[in-house]
Amino acid sequence: MSTEKRITLQQAAEIIKDGSSLTFSGFTIWRRPFALVYELIRQRRKGLHLIEVNGGPQTEFLVGAGCVDIWESCWVGHELYGKYGANLSRKVGNKEIIVEDYSHAEMMFRFAAAASGAAYAVTQTSLGTDIHNPEYDMLGRAGMRDGKHPHIARHKYQFTEDPFFGAGSQVLIPAVKLDVAVLCVQQVGEEGTVRVNGQYYSDPESARAADITIVVAEEIVPEEYLRRNADQNTIPSFEVDYILECPFGAHPTGMFGRYDVDGNFLKDFYGRTRTQEGFDDFAKEWIFGQDHMSYLEKLGWPRMLKIKANTALNYSVREKGGK
Amino acid sequence: MATEYATPEEYGLADLMCCASAREVGDNEIVFAGTGLPMVAIMLAQKTHAPNLKLIFEAGTLDGRPPELPTSVGDARCEMGASRSSGLNDAFSIAQRGLVDLGFLGGAEVDEYGNVNTTCIGDYLNPELRLTGSGGNPDINSFARRTVFIMVHEKRRFVPNVSYITSPGWKVKKWPGGEFVHRRELYGAAFRGGPSAVISTAGVFRFDEQSGRMYLDTCHPGKTPEEIKEMCQFDLDISRVAGETLPPTREELRIIHEVLDPDQIFIPKVKKG
Repeated sequence: MSTEKRITLQQAAEIIKDGSSLTFSGFTIWRRPFALVYELIRQRRKGLHLIEVNGGPQTEFLVGAGCVDIWESCWVGHELYGKYGANLSRKVGNKEIIVEDYSHAEMMFRFAAAASGAAYAVTQTSLGTDIHNPEYDMLGRAGMRDGKHPHIARHKYQFTEDPFFGAGSQVLIPAVKLDVAVLCVQQVGEEGTVRVNGQYYSDPESARAADITIVVAEEIVPEEYLRRNADQNTIPSFEVDYILECPFGAHPTGMFGRYDVDGNFLKDFYGRTRTQEGFDDFAKEWIFGQDHMSYLEKLGWPRMLKIKANTALNYSVREKGGK
Repeated sequence: MATEYATPEEYGLADLMCCASAREVGDNEIVFAGTGLPMVAIMLAQKTHAPNLKLIFEAGTLDGRPPELPTSVGDARCEMGASRSSGLNDAFSIAQRGLVDLGFLGGAEVDEYGNVNTTCIGDYLNPELRLTGSGGNPDINSFARRTVFIMVHEKRRFVPNVSYITSPGWKVKKWPGGEFVHRRELYGAAFRGGPSAVISTAGVFRFDEQSGRMYLDTCHPGKTPEEIKEMCQFDLDISRVAGETLPPTREELRIIHEVLDPDQIFIPKVKKG
C-alpha cells in the first residue's frame, strides 16, 4: 500500500496525453513543476489545453516548445526577471495558439467552482472591461463552444442580475474542466498526503478540481510523520493519484523554505527566447538530451548553493533579485 | 522635529514616486500590494505614518509584515510576520467581500477615465504586442475603495481610448453593446469607488468622481502643467493644479535605501556629489 502511488518522471509525463487539459501548482515564478515540464517537452507532447490561474515560466517553456494549442488564464511573465511572456506573445501574433483571457479572480473562482463540483461561479469582478467583450471570445470565434469539446464551455461567460438581493449585474463563469493537475511541493506522504509550506496559492483547488493529480515533491516522507500533525497538511491523501520524489524539481522557479527563484536563469531564458530560433537553441542546451540529474549537474553546486534557502528565514540570503 | 525635505540632487524620480505613493496610504487601511515599486511604497508607509496598515499579497499573505523586501507577491519573503498565510481564493474573496481600502496597480496605457490596459498593444485580434495580461489588476480595481496606478509617463501611454480595457476606470463599457456608462451603473451594490490617483513620472493625477475625468493634481518638481498636458493625447484638465509634488524627506530616503531596498532591486540610488 505504501508504494503504489509512486511513479517515475517519465511515467508522470506519459499520463498527460496529447490534447489533455492541464494545470500546475504555484504562483508566477514559484513552485512550478519544472522537472515534469521539461519531460513533457522531451516527450514532444502536442495540443495541450493549458488552464492556469496564472501563468509563468512554465507556460513560456511549454508554449515555446509548441506543446500548447489553447491557453486559458490571465497573466504570463517572469516577474522582475522578464517583463512579459515573449514566446506566448510571438505565438499569439502568429496565431499559432488560442488565448482566452479571464481576470485573475475569475480564474481562481473557476477553479474553486470546479473543486466544489459546481457548474459555474458567480462574481462581479471585471464588469465593464474588454474581458467581457463578446467579440473577444476566442474559443467561440474558433467554433469550439459547440458542446463537443469536453474541456470547453458553451459560453465564455453569461451575465445575469442578482435574483435574490438585487445587488446588480453578475457574471457567471464556467468551472474549469481539468484532466490533470501537477503539483510541486515540499513534502508528500507515501499515501499522498501533501504538506505545503508557505503560501499555498491555488494548489488545494487545483488538486480537487482535476481528474488526476500528480504530486512532484522535494521529498517523500513517511505518511505517519505527516499524520502526527494533520492540521498542518494541505491536501488529503485520496485527492492525490501519483507521487514522485524530485529534489529541486521546481528549478528555475522557487520553493518556500528550500530554494529561491534562480533569477539569472530566468533572465537568460527571457533574453534568449524572443525568437523561435532562440527558444530552440535554449531548449537544445537545457532540455533535450538531459534528464533531471544531468540538468542539476549542469547547473552545478555553486549556483544551487546561492539559491538555497536559509532554514530559519525560508529564503536565500545570497539571492538578491538576480543580482 | 521639523520635517527635512531632500533637495533635488538627493533623490531620483523613483524615490519621488515611491514617497508620493506611500502618502496615498492611510493608517489602519487594508492595502493590496503589487510587485515592485508599490511594495516598497507600502512598506515605507508601514514604517512611517501608517504603522497599522494591513498588507495583503495577492498570492495569499494576509496582514503581512515582511522583514525583508519580497521580489514578487508569491515570494517566500512575504510570509514571515504575517497574520495568516494562505492562498488566492482567500485574497480575492477578501477583495470581493469589500474589505480592501486601497490597491496599487500598474499599466501600459491609461485613458481619461482611468481605464487601464495591460493586455495588448494594438487591435486585440491582431495585436502588435501581447503583454502580460490582466493578472489581478481588474479584480482589485473592481473591488477596492481606491486604486492608485503607477506609470511611466509617455504620450503614447496617456490615450483617449486604450487598446483594450483590462481594468475598469470610472466610465466603462456596458456589454453586449459596449457603450460607455459610469461604473456605478454596472457595479450596483458592489460599487465602492474606483481609481483615485495616477502617479506618473511627470505628476500626480486624480479623478472627479462625478464626471469620472482625470485632472492634474500636482506636477513633479521641474515640470509645468502645460508641459504635462502636452504629454497626454487627451485634453487633460489642468484647472485644478494644487502645486508641486512634495519631495521625499531625508528620513524616507534613508528607509528606502538603507532598510527596504539596500540592494537597489526596485529603486536605484542617486549618487551624491
